[in-house]
Amino acid sequence: MSSTIAVNSMETTQTGIPTAKLGMWVFLASEVMFFAGLLGAYIVLRAGTHWPHPADELNVPAAAVNTFILLSSSMTMALSVAAVHRRDTGRLRMFLLATILLGCAFLGVKGYEYSVKFHHGHLPGTGLFWDVYFTLTGIHGLHVLIGALANLWVLSLTLKRDFFERKGHLVELSGLYWHFVDVVWIFLFPMVYLI
Amino acid sequence: MSTETHAVPNYGKYLVIWAFLIALLAAGTFVSYLPISRTGIALIILGISLVKTALVGLYFMHMKFEKFIPIWAVAVFPFFLLGLAGLLIFLGLTLIHI
Repeated sequence: MSSTIAVNSMETTQTGIPTAKLGMWVFLASEVMFFAGLLGAYIVLRAGTHWPHPADELNVPAAAVNTFILLSSSMTMALSVAAVHRRDTGRLRMFLLATILLGCAFLGVKGYEYSVKFHHGHLPGTGLFWDVYFTLTGIHGLHVLIGALANLWVLSLTLKRDFFERKGHLVELSGLYWHFVDVVWIFLFPMVYLI
Repeated sequence: MSTETHAVPNYGKYLVIWAFLIALLAAGTFVSYLPISRTGIALIILGISLVKTALVGLYFMHMKFEKFIPIWAVAVFPFFLLGLAGLLIFLGLTLIHI
């Protein structure tokens, strides 16, 4: 039964796109609406009150390093998809592992940022600025964690002999999600840290 | 594997796109320290973010190579986002004066 589902999910539909990929795009569309709501609330809250300059409160160099890490992880994810198209198992595993490690590095830097803020008494609930900061970056961090776990699961599936025939498409689906998380950060970084 | 067929860039092309993304990251961060108005900085940096998003979407997410997405939809999307951002900014400004 499961194999039937796996095969059917990659059948091309009338839209010209496999069902599984179409499902991922629809899910990402719902995620766009989710983050648009969050960012919209942020803009409205910020416009209606005195807002400190982010560079005075936040660690901009650490966030810039994190942006570098996430952009690099997007590249390794794209390389993973290229490897799966070439059925290159060695490079697929290497690039997937690199993506996971870069995701962990992103979370590590974020954890460092949080620990410094906590040490200085800046916690959620200690002001609108910090509420917004922890909400936006926290929810995004949760998405990074989910993406890293999804990639770890896909990496474990590469150990199966018939991976490319039955599960290869999962690399592309996981990649779409990972790139989306990257795109969200591309907007969060300047909006929260720079502007 | 997928039954669809579309050209996939080689490994080297992804490195070039990554280099562009890092250059844009450096440019955006540099601009934020320039002694110009915050509105000016915001417009420049958000413009850079739109370019970065286009690069990730078109190349890393393969939107450039997919046949199912009409190109006009991709081209219109940034303007839709800008319109939404403008609407929210005006709403925020309105709330200030309430």
